[in-house]
Amino acid sequence: MFYYLNIVLLCLSLSLASCFKKKQSKQDELPLQDTLRFNISTEPPTLDWSKATDTTSSLIVDNVMDGLLDYDSSKGSLKLKPALAEKWSSTPDSKTWTFTIRKDVKWNDGKEFKASHVLDGWERLLNPKTASEYAYFLYPIKNARAYSEGKIKDFSKVGVSVNEQGQLVVELEEGKSYFPYFVTHTSTYPIRKDIIEIHGDSWTDPKNIVTLGAYNLKVWEHDKSIILERNTNYYNQAAKIKNILIHIIPESGTALNLFEKGRLDAIRDLPSRELPVLRKRKEYRSHPILATYYYGINVEQKPFDDVRVRKAFNMAIDRKKITDLLKGDQIPLTGWIPGNLLGYDSSLGLNFNPEKARELMDEAGYKDRSTFPRVVISYNTHEDHKRVAEKVQAQLKKHLGIQVELSNEEWKTYLQSLKTGRQQIYRMGWVADYPDPDNFMTLMTSYSENNHTNWGSGRYDALVEEAGVLSNERERVKLYMEAQKILVEEEVPVIPIYSSQSHWLISDRVAVFPLNIMGKVSFKEVQLR
Amino acid sequence: MNIFSFKTLLSVFFFICLSLTLILSFLNYEIPSWLWLVDLGGLLAFFSYYTIKKRMLAYVCKRILGALFTLFIIATVTFVLLRTLPGGPFDQEKTLPPEIKANIEAKYHLDRPLMYQYGYYLSGLVQGDMGESYKYIGRNISSIMAETLPISIQLGIYALILSYLLGIPFGVLAASRQNTWADRTLMVGAISGVSLPSFLVAPLLILFFCFYLDWFETALWEGPSYYILPLLVLGTRPVSFIARLTRASVLEVIQSDYVRTAKAKGLHHWTVLYKHVLKNSFLPVLTFSGPLIAGILTGSFIVEHIFAIPGMAKHLVNSVTNRDYPLILGATLIYSVVLIFSNLVVDLLYSHFDPRIRLS
Repeated sequence: MFYYLNIVLLCLSLSLASCFKKKQSKQDELPLQDTLRFNISTEPPTLDWSKATDTTSSLIVDNVMDGLLDYDSSKGSLKLKPALAEKWSSTPDSKTWTFTIRKDVKWNDGKEFKASHVLDGWERLLNPKTASEYAYFLYPIKNARAYSEGKIKDFSKVGVSVNEQGQLVVELEEGKSYFPYFVTHTSTYPIRKDIIEIHGDSWTDPKNIVTLGAYNLKVWEHDKSIILERNTNYYNQAAKIKNILIHIIPESGTALNLFEKGRLDAIRDLPSRELPVLRKRKEYRSHPILATYYYGINVEQKPFDDVRVRKAFNMAIDRKKITDLLKGDQIPLTGWIPGNLLGYDSSLGLNFNPEKARELMDEAGYKDRSTFPRVVISYNTHEDHKRVAEKVQAQLKKHLGIQVELSNEEWKTYLQSLKTGRQQIYRMGWVADYPDPDNFMTLMTSYSENNHTNWGSGRYDALVEEAGVLSNERERVKLYMEAQKILVEEEVPVIPIYSSQSHWLISDRVAVFPLNIMGKVSFKEVQLR
Repeated sequence: MNIFSFKTLLSVFFFICLSLTLILSFLNYEIPSWLWLVDLGGLLAFFSYYTIKKRMLAYVCKRILGALFTLFIIATVTFVLLRTLPGGPFDQEKTLPPEIKANIEAKYHLDRPLMYQYGYYLSGLVQGDMGESYKYIGRNISSIMAETLPISIQLGIYALILSYLLGIPFGVLAASRQNTWADRTLMVGAISGVSLPSFLVAPLLILFFCFYLDWFETALWEGPSYYILPLLVLGTRPVSFIARLTRASVLEVIQSDYVRTAKAKGLHHWTVLYKHVLKNSFLPVLTFSGPLIAGILTGSFIVEHIFAIPGMAKHLVNSVTNRDYPLILGATLIYSVVLIFSNLVVDLLYSHFDPRIRLS
């Protein structure tokens, strides 16, 4: 009897349910014709732009905030355009920079934007208490490093100030012609100290945050979605679309399913195995990005202390075969600077040449290949890295007659091992922080923390430093060419493999969706049909 | 038995409230706070009444004290193991300048001796503060758990209900029709259900139900049509497992003397099965239930990943990849609490199903 009673009760509660109210999600209130639906692959670790270091956080911050300058993505170029600063100039030695601040800018709580807000932002970024990972972005500024180390307590000694005309004056330790790129970066955006003081860590909650960009942060449901709403008081041309609904979807296949079902308007990072099919579709777009993939060689370890062996390895790798295998439109790279950047030259570097490679091996004393020491290529655990490493392994076997071993480690373990310098050949990548060759070139200087090859060349360091100061593009290119020749032709501590492409599907609903090589997504320029 | 006794009416009311909560949450309706209170109060009242009536209060208290000690051990061991992992939370592709790393480590007390960090963590824990995430800067572990755990529990409860609702009848049916086509079909299904990984089942179901039939949504977590596929995928394995366990133990019980007696008395086949056999063959399923409940309630990484469900399981996995020490500890502790608690409930239920078992 109890059995029937239970069923009766269940029906009763079912009918009772109808007396209750349906949960209203904020997403339901967004009218489709005025909403762009986008996805990001992880929850943004933080929206506090002094602390954010990852691309997901930057994507959101970039759309709710502006920096002093911005990329002009409309032309697909990397030219800068005014944003919070209307003009900028420097002394001929690129050592002192002056930014003239716009007067008509208001924060979305109505307060006027001032140059001091930039100063506050930079102070907070450098302050040791903030413990910001990107504090080093401002290290070119005079005394900034000392302030961040806590050696100087007085921020007024740091080379940044506001002059009588209300302009922001920046004094650098050494001249840097590409310094304006730095102020496009989210970490250098102005902040509202008063707001942060009131709310503490929760100042980035939608109800507390104060911004001045084209969009306002309306909803942030952790791990689920973010909604941005057009800022009607934006100082520049207002955004075309009123609402941006951003779902947090970790799996690219899931995002693809939702796109197929018309639930997303644009997706990127398409699943690589699907690319051969997806690229035939009319919604497909792709563009190069400033990201490179390379193998570093530890030049202190035998047999790689011999430059001939390094060259032989380099020449025995057929990059085209690797990019064909990956099927992601990657561009084979033999030089160090990737395409679309000043100083790129496809003729640079050592080309695939198995005969020459074999000769070099013979010269190096390994005519009898069986005497060649044990060599290990290490990479962090990832399917694509594995495929590349296996291809390289096969090519070395085929062209040089050498059997190398492969070793993979989980990411953080891998990073730890890199620091110990035990690796012989290691996989690494680099994604540009700012679109200037300097970002790639300084990576391999002898004092760079990211150079795990133990290789260093005074000549290379000097060339890179000199080029960083120059503002004449032609002269800079000349120096970078010379430095790259040392790196990828003469000394060869690195084997560049390819530079990457970004792949998109953009639905027919979207009329304009500007893409750029920095991978920035600017929603204010997107238009729906 | 008097249907209108106070006790019966109370339990009927409680039953209605509980099922109402489940139905409302499934239909994505707002659940008023009084309903939550009634549910919680009802569960607590039921739990205390049961323990006192069965004279198990001392036993439960002992178990809870033991659980606290277990949690302390778990926290300590996890803490120590984490520090032996190579690579730290702030190691990344772009190496940080040493002074910046020092600033960050100072902020999170990582520059202090290990014993200090351990003491600091424990003293926070005692006050209910699990610390701040390293990865999700400025977010408290408790708030991360408070936001993600309910979603995992919601999905988990649906999957659990499905598992018992389908698994047990399937098992009984297979056992009572042993060696017929029904038995074989069900067991082949169960074997496939146990052995097929969810990352295969999920895409197959998505392909069939979303792209061919267009019945459900492919992903996200917004309403009934979003819930069904994940709960099917999450439920597949437990349904199959429970069906197999039930079948095996029903087959064993069915041969005992008292069942023969019941049949000889002329009782209906199904009455014998459901009234006399099932209760005694439920023990193996119950044993399996403790870890099952804990595992399912804290979510499945793969199911949450594929369906973009904002649950807790991803933190159990990703926090380790990120070396986010406080989050790893927090997630581990939450999982342990759920596991210990569900094991306690299972032990209490033992004595209900088998009066020979005395807990004291």
